[in-house]
Amino acid sequence: MLPFEEQILSDLLEDPHGGLVVLSSGLPLHSLVASLLLLHHSSAGALLLLSASDSQKPSILRSLQRLQDPNPNSSLPSELAGDLPGHQRAALYASGAAFFVTARVLVADLLVPRAPPGSISSLIILNAHRLSETSPEAFIARLLRRHSPRASVVALSDRPLPLSSGFSKPERILKSLYIKKLHLWPRFHVVVSADLEKTPPEVVDVRLPVTAAMKGVQSAALEAMGACLKELRRTNKVDVEDLTVENGLFKSFDEIVRRQLDPIWHTLGKKTKQLVNDLKTLRKLMDYLVRYDAVTFLKYLDTLRVSEGGRSVWIFAESSYKIFEFAKKRVYQVLRADGSKIIMDNKTTANKKRKVNDDNNKDKENEASCSDGGKALTNSGVMLEEVLEEAPKWKVLRELLEEIEEERKIVALREDELGVEDTRDDTGIVLVACKDERSCLQLEACITKGPHQVMREEWEKYLLGKAELHGLQKRSKKKNQDPKGFGILNGMVANGPFENTDPSSISKLENDALLAAASEISHLASEEICVGDSSGPCAIRGRSRKGRGRGRSKKTPGKGEVSVKRNKNPGDDKMIGKGYSSIEVQGTEKDAEHAADLQERPLPDATTDKAVLRRHSKDHGTSESTNAKPLPPVQFYAFESGKHILDVWKPSAIIVYHPDVAFVREIEVYKAENPSRKLKVYFLFYEDSTEVQKFEASIRRENAAFESLIRQKSLMMIPVDQDGRCIGLTSFIEPDVHGLQNSQTRKAGGRKMIEKEMQVIVDMREFMSSLPNVLHQKGMRIIPVTLEVGDYVLSPMICVERKSIMDLFQSFSSGRLYHQVETMVRYYRMPVLLIEFSHDKSFSFQSASDISDDVSPTSIISKLSLLILHFPRLRLVWSRSVHATAEIFASLKVNQDEPDETKAVRVGVPSEDGVIENDVRAENYNTSAVEFLRRLPGVTDSNYRALMDGCNSLAELVLLPIERLAELMGGQKSARVLKDFLDAKFPTLL
Amino acid sequence: TSYSGPQNRNAILVSHRQKGNPLLKHIRNVKWVFADIVPDYLMGQGSCALYLSVRYHLLHPDYLYFRIRELQKNFKLRVVLCHVDVEDVVKPLLEVTRTAMLHDCTLLCGWSLEECGRYLETIKVYENKPADSIREQMDTDYLSRLTHALTTVRHVNKTDVVTLGSSFGSLSGIMDASMEDLARCPGIGERKVKRLYDTFHEPFRRVS
Repeated sequence: MLPFEEQILSDLLEDPHGGLVVLSSGLPLHSLVASLLLLHHSSAGALLLLSASDSQKPSILRSLQRLQDPNPNSSLPSELAGDLPGHQRAALYASGAAFFVTARVLVADLLVPRAPPGSISSLIILNAHRLSETSPEAFIARLLRRHSPRASVVALSDRPLPLSSGFSKPERILKSLYIKKLHLWPRFHVVVSADLEKTPPEVVDVRLPVTAAMKGVQSAALEAMGACLKELRRTNKVDVEDLTVENGLFKSFDEIVRRQLDPIWHTLGKKTKQLVNDLKTLRKLMDYLVRYDAVTFLKYLDTLRVSEGGRSVWIFAESSYKIFEFAKKRVYQVLRADGSKIIMDNKTTANKKRKVNDDNNKDKENEASCSDGGKALTNSGVMLEEVLEEAPKWKVLRELLEEIEEERKIVALREDELGVEDTRDDTGIVLVACKDERSCLQLEACITKGPHQVMREEWEKYLLGKAELHGLQKRSKKKNQDPKGFGILNGMVANGPFENTDPSSISKLENDALLAAASEISHLASEEICVGDSSGPCAIRGRSRKGRGRGRSKKTPGKGEVSVKRNKNPGDDKMIGKGYSSIEVQGTEKDAEHAADLQERPLPDATTDKAVLRRHSKDHGTSESTNAKPLPPVQFYAFESGKHILDVWKPSAIIVYHPDVAFVREIEVYKAENPSRKLKVYFLFYEDSTEVQKFEASIRRENAAFESLIRQKSLMMIPVDQDGRCIGLTSFIEPDVHGLQNSQTRKAGGRKMIEKEMQVIVDMREFMSSLPNVLHQKGMRIIPVTLEVGDYVLSPMICVERKSIMDLFQSFSSGRLYHQVETMVRYYRMPVLLIEFSHDKSFSFQSASDISDDVSPTSIISKLSLLILHFPRLRLVWSRSVHATAEIFASLKVNQDEPDETKAVRVGVPSEDGVIENDVRAENYNTSAVEFLRRLPGVTDSNYRALMDGCNSLAELVLLPIERLAELMGGQKSARVLKDFLDAKFPTLL
Repeated sequence: TSYSGPQNRNAILVSHRQKGNPLLKHIRNVKWVFADIVPDYLMGQGSCALYLSVRYHLLHPDYLYFRIRELQKNFKLRVVLCHVDVEDVVKPLLEVTRTAMLHDCTLLCGWSLEECGRYLETIKVYENKPADSIREQMDTDYLSRLTHALTTVRHVNKTDVVTLGSSFGSLSGIMDASMEDLARCPGIGERKVKRLYDTFHEPFRRVS
């Protein structure tokens, strides 16, 4: 453990009630949690870990194992699953051990109470940036505090950015968890930076230019983004200050906009909503531009055109046209070749195309530009030239690897001469870190098969896809071909039907040429004797030679363009320290050392997930590259996977293929923990790209976030009671401390209160809202169950479906509300629709001026009127806020019997399986699979249960023969419908 | 009596009690006539409404109760149309809500006379309208249905549906895909891969 980690820990432990710790992303949050676990002793009571994500759990366990090494007899925390029988869970809580548990399960267990609050000594809440007063964690903290004031609550987060946005968020989190200490540990903290910069790794910063076409895409995308932003500003609905293109590059930008717009989301026009969506799409495009290869990027654009085509605002803008053109140019060019094969100047073609302003004439003009001087109806008039631009980083990656191996040989040689034998520490592994799994797979293929081959394969897949479309189009002859061109962004949104989004902008000739190329490929493919089911690789091999010559002449930046700089820090953060060396990327052409001596190393740790870390196997590598230089053993790692693997692989060199701040910090920590180990880190940046901007800005933004948090901390007001305990937010804004008094009298034996205690049955899903918490505060007993019908059951007669304003609008348009009300009316005497406004927003649907002149079917007034006309027994309750709701509930329950838990659970559940095992059904179901199943054609409310009994999972459902389906679904017809849908050929739309 | 006459079948009948209510100015899309009726408004055979301003309720808290008591039981839909015209609304609205609930009335709230008038108009206009526009409707074409199903998986969007469809050819193909195959699709990140895969392969019921 590094000194600064010890400091964090001791600071935190100073206050026995716990605190909120915020770290820079990438700092060792997991080992911090592990140390807390290590300090836990089961005699004190159970320790519960809340809200840990699936990727965090194994990291925490691994850190713990590492720390435990000297005494491995203590046990690791296990999962306290919701599907364990109640008494077993109770026993586990009582055992005083440490567990991972979900908030929903814990709330239910605390309320029942299966987990006596006294038996819990401490709570560790991860991902604290997601907390709010309304989250179930806050409810848990309150339940816990009430009964065991000594318990400690520690909340942790390594995402300062979301914490600093919004109104005094950390303060509210502290209050809602009843803790008072905020600990901030930015990377620029003196203690942290001192530790991390003691023995920094050697850093090489490689900056390489993007290709001209990539640059073109990038600037066009930025332009489109700017236009969208301008348009969004014009709506006057958002705070302009945050709307910058730089912010637009980040994911948090969507959050900024949504946070501002959410309160009024239901009042926004289609166009504004679409703009917000488009910005998100454009942001993704920028990211994918540097992450995906040229063909995949083009394919993604095509997909976008299909899925967004009808609605998107930007997609028909001038600048987005450029995006498509440049993206295409990276892959192929359409050339005119008459008899004498005079190749037209592509540049002018492209220019001409781009100049076309009137989109409606685009097609015609395109055709003209391609076919002027010839009736180019025959394919012979046009030919397709493959460009297949490779990502510039690919080449550099290989060169770096070769060079690393080179260096290692030299070192090894020297050590041999000297007779030194201390390389046992050096695994020699080179770790290539990318953002996503996909890049890992592709880079691996690049190294084994060569980049050219990878491009070819992608290209052929692309063409075959096109060919399939062609076949389909022939079959369904009538495709409406109206080119939708609306001058984008000058106010019009194209709203054509979904189907007519066929590639109208690709000229016919171009399409023909693509199809010709495709058929050539499929022809070749069928000639090849293919072994195995992967038709791609073997079929292609034959052709790739031929393609190579053509491709080579055009593509790839010359070696000279790759500049290796003597690093000026990639951030203002003093990232890694000063030990830089400059290297020659070009690497002098050495004699080809035959047969790559790629060595398969034994896995350093057998437990590592093979799906994420794959080895570089030598069989592939040697087959193709005859003049390849030897490469070191390479591992690929996707940091999106969230696994922390530096300790596992102990690499001696790391190539950071996609820059990522958190990963850089991880490297720093790893190096600081292993000061003696040699480590060289290479950063690959595209110069002048959004990639660099994003990387640098993310450091800036994190620093700014911390500065804002530090300011907020100095101004924070946390009320504290006599015992030094924090008085939480809920009782703070709630003038009625009835609940608290209530519990005290209960403790004192006030029997009267117990008799009068009201009960409310609450659906498990509702624990995401704050109403159960507030009801509990009001002194009501909350009975958590899974309800099939309604959200709250107040009495045997009264059942309530609760809708926030946003939910109300959404569920009206999805039709879900109608269905919910229908079932409620069926089973309850007094079905209630609760319309709950939020207390910080206006209490009304719309202002008088927003009401249209006539009755329009889309208005909320119309929908609500229609609903009550069809369900005259439905009662509406309009509530100003959650607190008002709680009062209304209390008043409605007067003179009513208490609800019956077992009955409520059975309502709406078909009687044949009316036997419900206890209460935690939601946890027992794969809810998204069940929902998925219910949305399949042929599946109905009455037969989905039988289907679930008949097969284990959706994957198994696919395998069931039609006879069996008919049996389960109670009918030949619905079985046929389902089967047909499952096996239907996806229409190729691209 | 007079209000069942054929000439008034398409009109909202308004009680003489409502004379002078500025709300009447805002009933413009439908004809209305004064008539001798017990409720304040009669929008159709089975639906009537009582108008209540919260300000009035604060002065006469029992008024609503007595009005509701007068109503016969032979209206299918009995609306209490509450005009929210005060700022501090929580307490009076609680009382109104309770009274309406316990006496089988449906409470509608309007924040302006325009809005209140529009409710009356709409209930009249929609008297015989089917509920189609608020029912679950699905486009029946293949892509919409596929999108409808696949977007149950969190974070999967329409673009992803097209990507998945064109990569694997059919829904059964998508369900059969390995994690690695899913990860190869552009735009499908780690989290989506896992969510999709779990949805397809985790059992419906998690029985320990």
